[in-house]
Amino acid sequence: MSVIRFLHWLNDTTFSITMRDSTWAEPVVETIHVLTLTLFLGFTVLLDLRLLGLSMRRRRASEVMGELNPGLMGGFLVMIVTGVLLFCGDPVAFYNSIFFKVKMLMLLLAGLNVWLFNATVGRKMAEWDIDSVTPGSAKAAAVVSLVLWVAIVAAGRAIAYSLPPP
Amino acid sequence: MSLSSLLMSFCEWADSSFFGHGIRNSVWLFPFVEIFHLLALAVLGGTVLILNLRLLGIRFQRERVSDLARDVQPWMRGSLVVMLVSGFFLFSSESVKMYGNGAFRVKMVSLVLAILFTFTLHRKVTMSDEAQVSPLWRKLAAVLSLVLWSGVGLAGRAIGIV
Repeated sequence: MSVIRFLHWLNDTTFSITMRDSTWAEPVVETIHVLTLTLFLGFTVLLDLRLLGLSMRRRRASEVMGELNPGLMGGFLVMIVTGVLLFCGDPVAFYNSIFFKVKMLMLLLAGLNVWLFNATVGRKMAEWDIDSVTPGSAKAAAVVSLVLWVAIVAAGRAIAYSLPPP
Repeated sequence: MSLSSLLMSFCEWADSSFFGHGIRNSVWLFPFVEIFHLLALAVLGGTVLILNLRLLGIRFQRERVSDLARDVQPWMRGSLVVMLVSGFFLFSSESVKMYGNGAFRVKMVSLVLAILFTFTLHRKVTMSDEAQVSPLWRKLAAVLSLVLWSGVGLAGRAIGIV
């Protein structure tokens, strides 16, 4: 089954129709999606700032990461679940929005960035995590993360403006 | 002049200002300013959350509250400034409409209370010597801060719905 046929099928499911037609489902899910930015993105920014040596310098990077990670991961899970629900409410229109495609691509890149960090400089964190000045590659990962998340928020906001009104 | 007519004339002034006009008549300016509002929301919310989670004894237990507060305060203040400036521009594009919006009024009252509380009592609790503040007061301050800021966020989200 092609992607577009699958999305049309999804679009006609009772679940999708309910998400779309209910007065409260979409605003409630969107509110959770937006306000969880504080937990997920707020903590991600704090972690990136530590990697850049701009905040919490006196604390070990590994400690900051350990303290922020549970909230960050929990927040990410909520973002994914609510994001998928919003997508299900109007799958064909989302898929046709260029901002949605750009956002998905950047999410993938942000995930790759985390993987790359963990596989390289992050693995050797014990060697540098007491230093207030972090290695260049850790700073690079933080900058890439910040740039991508700013763009992801921008693309997310643009999706809502590019979708045809209900 | 009564308070309501003073507020109304302020709304009318913002509504007819060049930026109010400009944002209202542009397709992309409003969402563009909203992006800054959202990014600052993430940073402000993140710093408020982490500080309150520390007060509740859930995160950064090994750190002194005042140390953590000193670390996150510049980012908290900076993001609050971005929130207020971007929020004012968003408001200016539809300020006369906002005057009668119940959710907007709730948001403004919560915002004033949240800011006052954050920079007075809450600040006192986070910056003082830990031995001088009982854990109960710390937890109470954290809960009140979370309630007030959540009120601002939820009422803000409701503005576009009601």
